[in-house]
Amino acid sequence: MRNQNQFSKEIYKLTKFHYNNSKEYKKIVDLLYSSKIKEKIESIPFIPAKLFKDIDLKSVPDKDVFKILNSSGTSSGKPSKIYLDKENAKKQILVLNEIVSKILGKKRIPMLIIDEKKDILNSKKFDAKTAAILGFSLFGNNYHYLIKDQIIDYKNLNNFMEKYSNTNFFIFGFTSYIYEYLLKNLDNKKIKKDFSKGILIHGGGWKKMEEIKMPNKIFKKKLKEKLKLEKIFNYYGLIEQTGSIFFECKECSCLTTSKYSDVLIRDKNFKILKNNKKGYIQLLSLLPKSYPGHSILTEDMGEIVENDCSLCSGKKKFLVHGRAEKSEIRGCSDV
Amino acid sequence: MRKVNYLVGNSKFSLDPFEPFSKDVCNFLNNLSNELNSVKNIKNYPDLKALSFWCRSKNILKLKNNFNSEKNRVGLGMIFHVTPANIPTNFAYSLIFGLLTGNSNVVKVPSKNFEQINTISSVIKKILKKKNSFLKNKITIIQYKNNNEFTKKISSLCNARVIWGGDQTINSLRDFKIKERAIDITFADRYSFCVMNPLKIERMSDFELKNLVQRFYNDTYLVDQNACSSPHLIVWLGRKSKNFKERFWEKLYNLVKTKYKFTESAPIEKYTDLCKYALSIGNIKSVETFENLIYKIKLKKIDKNNHDHKGKWGLFFEYDLKNLNEIKHIVNNKYQTLTYYGIDKFLLKKFVLQNNLKGIDRIVPVGQSLNIGLLWDGYDILNILSRGIEVR
Repeated sequence: MRNQNQFSKEIYKLTKFHYNNSKEYKKIVDLLYSSKIKEKIESIPFIPAKLFKDIDLKSVPDKDVFKILNSSGTSSGKPSKIYLDKENAKKQILVLNEIVSKILGKKRIPMLIIDEKKDILNSKKFDAKTAAILGFSLFGNNYHYLIKDQIIDYKNLNNFMEKYSNTNFFIFGFTSYIYEYLLKNLDNKKIKKDFSKGILIHGGGWKKMEEIKMPNKIFKKKLKEKLKLEKIFNYYGLIEQTGSIFFECKECSCLTTSKYSDVLIRDKNFKILKNNKKGYIQLLSLLPKSYPGHSILTEDMGEIVENDCSLCSGKKKFLVHGRAEKSEIRGCSDV
Repeated sequence: MRKVNYLVGNSKFSLDPFEPFSKDVCNFLNNLSNELNSVKNIKNYPDLKALSFWCRSKNILKLKNNFNSEKNRVGLGMIFHVTPANIPTNFAYSLIFGLLTGNSNVVKVPSKNFEQINTISSVIKKILKKKNSFLKNKITIIQYKNNNEFTKKISSLCNARVIWGGDQTINSLRDFKIKERAIDITFADRYSFCVMNPLKIERMSDFELKNLVQRFYNDTYLVDQNACSSPHLIVWLGRKSKNFKERFWEKLYNLVKTKYKFTESAPIEKYTDLCKYALSIGNIKSVETFENLIYKIKLKKIDKNNHDHKGKWGLFFEYDLKNLNEIKHIVNNKYQTLTYYGIDKFLLKKFVLQNNLKGIDRIVPVGQSLNIGLLWDGYDILNILSRGIEVR
């Protein structure tokens, strides 16, 4: 069972920390929330995700910044910048480990990465995809990359399958890559073994799926049919809250919170909505400490779900319906 | 060449000028006014109604009587209009300006399918078919996307371009040459603000205040506060009267609450703008919000780049001022419309002219910021789009 009280207390503490350590965060709370921080979780101030694109938000001195995460920034051109200190980066890994090991177990297993190999070790800056691959590679070993020069490297793939397809193995990639390469391009005739022992984890990059209008359920079904993959896990998370990600329940496909995270749904005036009502998704996480990203208003629409799923009962769960629709604004702007 | 969709007319458009306020044009506009008025569901389209009202014969006659008593003017030839994507009836006004001044017109309308554009186009087609053969090849309405060749061709043929849609559109059109004697009228990105007298409003009845607030709403929320003439800054001029201001905002809030509909992403974007301004502007006194419907940022001081601080969907800046001259240094050529309430318009005119300000092209009462006229954005459109002949 979820200990909501404990979570609220910690998020309140964290809010006060950011108020005292980030001058930008303090200014927003002072001006927009009359300097008041209340303990009730619904009253915790939230930062819009987009603000990380325009403004550097930090709660540690510059000298403590150890890594900068960048979002892809495809929609507006500008990427978000997330400033991590050592402690924060470490915590992200620990929590990700705790959450993912419930799916993959504690032992590392062979890993097939649905991406190109990149030299990232010496870089201080990371984009979201690279950060995700790096984070998840802690659960694998014997890494093989599926893609080389933008096409499928069948030699490498068969090499991997030959060696490891008889044991449990781990497949990881961004959703759009899984679609593009595994579902669309992969030629079954060119591979010698099947994927039935694979465990696929995918997330992010779902804008593509919205574009081609493929719901998660169909996506999953098609993957199962084509590759004989049985274990497929979709996750949802923000680059601003790396680590405390939300995994789908295997039974009911709802996203579930962990003890490090919470979700609230708000209406167009940002009042809290009842369960099963669609609204704006606010995500809370206990991890962000070097930057004020612990309470974020996302650009996504979703709803909290109440159901009688036996597998995830007692957990708080929700669905994401996709990005808030950007309809044409009136006024005399560009043609 | 890529596809061009002709909503009215065809590729055999006229390049010829004719007499301004010609009988044919006046009749055509009268027909247009009547036909639009009899369109089904017109009451669902206040903008079509406004257009119909604008072209009524009484208004056209008034304009005609004010124009060119010497009868020494003629149109330029063909005008290429590039109209903005987001105000569905704007193209019609641009076209009418071209017709009144005695020009043939090629009008590029947004490729997005607005009901209003289709309605106006089909009404025009109907009138041209039945009654107005003279204007037949002088009104051409087209839609196309990413067709540089066509833009280049029309630009090379026209005698004037009327370019709406802001800085980006203007700059992209400037890549295409026009003839040596041809001219561009460009409607660039502008900034607008509003001045009100709190004392005047303090004495208003509830009914009067409601009326004022409705007019303010029409200037702003009706177009998501995103028209170039929608105010972003509210200046309270004169003695301080906190009470009234609160009354004004409360009333506005009540109206917005019942009338205004956010698009889905608007609350997130508006909140993001508010956070951004809270962090980037130094002189903020306080921030007040009425749910997500009204955001206002009270300023302690106004700085020189004030024109960069624009709100959308009802985000306003507010500033108390004793004397207008205190802000003369911030007015530059980005400033377009000054809407006013409770202040003598001649004082405002004096403020602009005596200080030789580079900006403020329109001084109009609250509620009329969107009312388009023949003096727009500082341009005297009737004279610019026609040629005057010196006879001595």
